[in-house]
Amino acid sequence: MAAQSHGGNRFIWQQAVPVLFGIACLFAVVVLLEILIRFGFINRFIVPTPLDIVGSFGRIIVDEHVGSRFLLTFGEALGATALLTVFGISFGVLLHRVRLIRLATETWIAAVASAPLVLMYPLFLVIFGRSALTIIMMGFVSALPPVILKTLEGLSSTRPVLINVGRSFKLTPSQLYWKILFPAALPTIFVGVRLGMIFALINIVGVEFLINFGGLGQLVNELSERYDLPGTYAAICFVILVSVVFFIVTERIEKWLRPGA
Amino acid sequence: MGGTMPSNPSVGSDSAGAATQPLLVVDDIYKQFETAEGPVVAVDHVSFDVAPGEFLSVIGPSGCGKSTLFNIMGGLLDGYDGHIKVAGETLRGPHASVGMIFQEESTFPWRTVVDNVAFPLEIAGMAKAERLDRARHFVELVGLDGFERRYPSELSGGMRQRVSMARTLASEPKILLMDEPFAALDEQTRLLLGDKVLQIQQDLKQTTLLITHNLTEAVQLSDRILVMTYRPGRMKRMVEIKLPRPRSSEIVGSDAFGHYVAQIWNDLREEASKGLKDDEARRGGTRR
Amino acid sequence: MAETGRLTAPAAAGGWAALPLSRRVLLLRVFIIAGLVVIWEAVAASGLLFRDVVPSLVTVGQALVNILTVADYKANIFGTEIMIPEFFRHLWVTAYEVLTAMLIGGLAGLTVGLALGSNPFLSGAFERFLYYLGPTPKIIFFPLMIMWFGVGPGSKIAMGTLSCFFPVVLSAAAGVRQIDKVLIRVGRSFRVNTWQMVTKIYLPAMREPIVNGVRLGLGVAVIGTLLAETKLSNQGLGYLIINAYTIFEMPRMYALLILLFGVSIAANALVGRASRAK
Repeated sequence: MAAQSHGGNRFIWQQAVPVLFGIACLFAVVVLLEILIRFGFINRFIVPTPLDIVGSFGRIIVDEHVGSRFLLTFGEALGATALLTVFGISFGVLLHRVRLIRLATETWIAAVASAPLVLMYPLFLVIFGRSALTIIMMGFVSALPPVILKTLEGLSSTRPVLINVGRSFKLTPSQLYWKILFPAALPTIFVGVRLGMIFALINIVGVEFLINFGGLGQLVNELSERYDLPGTYAAICFVILVSVVFFIVTERIEKWLRPGA
Repeated sequence: MGGTMPSNPSVGSDSAGAATQPLLVVDDIYKQFETAEGPVVAVDHVSFDVAPGEFLSVIGPSGCGKSTLFNIMGGLLDGYDGHIKVAGETLRGPHASVGMIFQEESTFPWRTVVDNVAFPLEIAGMAKAERLDRARHFVELVGLDGFERRYPSELSGGMRQRVSMARTLASEPKILLMDEPFAALDEQTRLLLGDKVLQIQQDLKQTTLLITHNLTEAVQLSDRILVMTYRPGRMKRMVEIKLPRPRSSEIVGSDAFGHYVAQIWNDLREEASKGLKDDEARRGGTRR
Repeated sequence: MAETGRLTAPAAAGGWAALPLSRRVLLLRVFIIAGLVVIWEAVAASGLLFRDVVPSLVTVGQALVNILTVADYKANIFGTEIMIPEFFRHLWVTAYEVLTAMLIGGLAGLTVGLALGSNPFLSGAFERFLYYLGPTPKIIFFPLMIMWFGVGPGSKIAMGTLSCFFPVVLSAAAGVRQIDKVLIRVGRSFRVNTWQMVTKIYLPAMREPIVNGVRLGLGVAVIGTLLAETKLSNQGLGYLIINAYTIFEMPRMYALLILLFGVSIAANALVGRASRAK
């Protein structure tokens, strides 16, 4: 913060120009597309014009209830995230505290992390039925390994000198955990939770799309099956908007967890 | 161990002169580590006392076991022979009367300056308003007033080390242990921080034990300096620094200062070159 | 899962604490696996869930053997016709799609990442957009990919490419920035040209972040490709799995899942080894 106020005008100048340039480029591409499609260089039955897409926003919101669909997907993601945070972090802590369990299972968890677990969705479908629960559980299970691994990494990479500081002040083992190890590991743990949330979101929307059930994933699927092109593109824009919001929110939280950095 | 005389006769020195009970007694400490190349003796029968209000430095080349000694005195390391007494109590694990300042950067990055300093008070269960008040006092003492609400990542290395110092001082230790606290800083900052330490030490009459490999720093700050040998770490000489107090970094230019530095360097040079040769031999050995 | 192992282990072994650590780890692993197998078989035998949903591991094993040994597909390999299990044809299709996607998406990601990482202006202008698109579930683009690249492997490759591009580009850009600036100054002082700068300094100095990006990219490329295959395809592992589910041949589905996970884990480990190999 100090650097920003010190840098003054020049700092703002250096920051703002590239950002404005980026936005201008995005705008130029959109305008270029509009022109190319209008004049038939791109088939408008494959790519609708940007104006058509914007025009169908209202329809998507009113007729297709994009708001409540968003809330459904958001709710599923929230449910999966809650499960991820509770179970992922607890497992990570367990692995950190009990060395034997860590030695026995860490490589397994790392291996599972690289398997496309979402392909098990038919199984979840049979167990939990065609419901939001299936989608939440699928998102949770497929995103669990990275949360466990990052929690473990954060806890075990705490700098030894910080632990020594705690010992020199005669902290009890539980104080050492809550006052030093955990806060020191928190930024890394959050990186894991964020990674888990991205995985969960990918799988949640993916399963919605595949089993044609639920929120935004189903909306894209339905509109495309109806050959409603501008609508499909508009719905996709909406999903992108969601991921933009997701990114900004998680970035803020991360900044807040690494104060002053 | 009634007196303050070092028990080892090969150490030419005298006591700090006080008849008072020593605050810290280091009695015949011996510590060896098991390594892949067999056992290595880190500290070899080291004994000395520190009187209340005294500033004692332990100086020696890298590998003389001074950091091991630091960890033993702080109660962080056990499995040694001999014993340590703090205010008459035999040391078993970290002691409330011993405050430690570490060589590595050790502020908590998730706490503001004042919250860092309030940490030991928080652990002691002091009420929030009271501990913040006390913490502010120590922040001021190390000259960081105005930075209370900053995070360590916004501060320079020297400022961060002062935060660590304030944090340890806030626990009001009877004896302060410092392990090369300024090793990572540049020479000017080091001298100026030395002034700060001198001033604090004189204000608080803080009994202090400093581990260092820096000659200027040791002479600038100490009442007595213990020179250690290179591996195994033995006591080579105890030197009394009879420079006037209160001191400041200006003393670095004086003749008496230069005299002490030359005298200690004479002892140290031999040990440092042994260390250097040993180090080169070890590296050469792995290359071949 | 781990709990079952931990609770049963000390009871079974008398001098548990006396055992060497490696032996205890091995025993714990055996107990965990045994515990899982017992639970699975108990559920299978009890019929609590649909009996067919949790079939006995014996039938899954039989299905696995069948998939790998019954040569029911006439393959044409270098002009000679031989009979192979059909599974391998589908494995090849998926592998081809994923590898092509990795090649296109990986190279594009690397190039763009290098450019963004070494040019603050470009990164200030465009990197934000990439961060925004990173967490977007790529599957929503599948309807468009079908329109652009057809229903065949083209649209699956496109899905894989789209998926793996983002992790690679973001870690490459971050990787460039974490390079110790002095190494770049050393390069300049030896007056190396741009190409040498990239191949001799940038790439070796950022191997670790790149490998991490490629690993992450491989993971999401596999997911993207397979999800696309389950949605609309008549070949590939994703199709095979969803097909086994549609005709409710559960043992076969489990066997296919086991094979798929095995192949993915092996592929990931292979890329991981590349970061450690000298």
